[in-house]
Amino acid sequence: MASFFCSRVLARRRLVESKTSWCFHRSRYLAAPVHATKIIESNAIGCPTASSRFSFCSRPLNLDDAQGPAVVDYRSLLQEDEFHRLADATIHDLQEKFEEYGDCIQIDGFDIDYGNQVLTLKLGSLGTYVLNKQTPNRQIWLSSPVSGPSRFDWDRNSQAWVYRRTKVSLYQLLQSELEQLCGKPISLS
Amino acid sequence: MLRAGCKRFAGLANFKNQTQTLSLLRFYHERVVDHYNNPRNVGSFDKNDPTVGTGLVGAPACGDVMKLQIKVDEETGKIVDACFKTFGCGSAIASSSVATEWVKGKQMEEVLSIKNTEIAKHLSLPPVKLHCSMLAEDAIKAAVKDYEAKRAKLGENGDEAAPVDKAADA
Repeated sequence: MASFFCSRVLARRRLVESKTSWCFHRSRYLAAPVHATKIIESNAIGCPTASSRFSFCSRPLNLDDAQGPAVVDYRSLLQEDEFHRLADATIHDLQEKFEEYGDCIQIDGFDIDYGNQVLTLKLGSLGTYVLNKQTPNRQIWLSSPVSGPSRFDWDRNSQAWVYRRTKVSLYQLLQSELEQLCGKPISLS
Repeated sequence: MLRAGCKRFAGLANFKNQTQTLSLLRFYHERVVDHYNNPRNVGSFDKNDPTVGTGLVGAPACGDVMKLQIKVDEETGKIVDACFKTFGCGSAIASSSVATEWVKGKQMEEVLSIKNTEIAKHLSLPPVKLHCSMLAEDAIKAAVKDYEAKRAKLGENGDEAAPVDKAADA
């Protein structure tokens, strides 16, 4: 009983410590150039043009995704259960559509596997897609043989999974790439 | 050693079994193993040093955190030294190790064009590990951004030195 209580306290303390370290990092970023006002939603954090003589970069850095571990706005994140519901539905939907697609196209080494909440779509020599949930970030991660890795967040406005850097939606990306790779169009939405 | 053992094991079986066995075993590419066993540029610079840019990306909850630091020559904008510390899988460690190797001796703008696809290709990363290479690319960008931000802030403070002193007196 006592050991259970101790482990709970320890876990809570670790959580508190990690949260305070996030806060510390966040304040560091808030002290950064004036352009970086809203860290979560800003898309371009540029070197201030006024002091461009101090900047070695001639163009602004588009780094909205590479903010480091500190800047997670918990209020705007999906609730975990809602995330799981949406992500699971999306992944299962894709699995079904891929299976139908596999029946239409003739690709050597075509295989679909869903295990441990990871969806793997093999297209033989054309490459392999891997799709999985990244729960801490509330994201769906995709690894594509065409466009490499991408990370999709749920956008409430468009009710779709969107990759912030390119503004493309998961379904759009998969549709265009699969058509490009296999020659036959696929309708995912 | 594992590899040698596996090769011997595969050699003992007949050809059909051999191909089946090899397809079940997945090796890290030898470059990844090399970077894991002999990581280049592990370490830390003083993050308060004005010539140092620090990029910290990832999250422990996700299983990957990379800290990549660059030391920049203020006159030329060239990266003279780099170091990293990574918490994560072998592919993440190798990706960040490669990143520190590639940024050394380059201009800051030049390193922004290092792509995760190049790192992944160099290490022959499997699909599921491509995200590690993207994190390494992000770490490079974050380090450059941090350095730029520091320089800009120093510049601003330099211009406003007088008012700040006044405020301190008041």
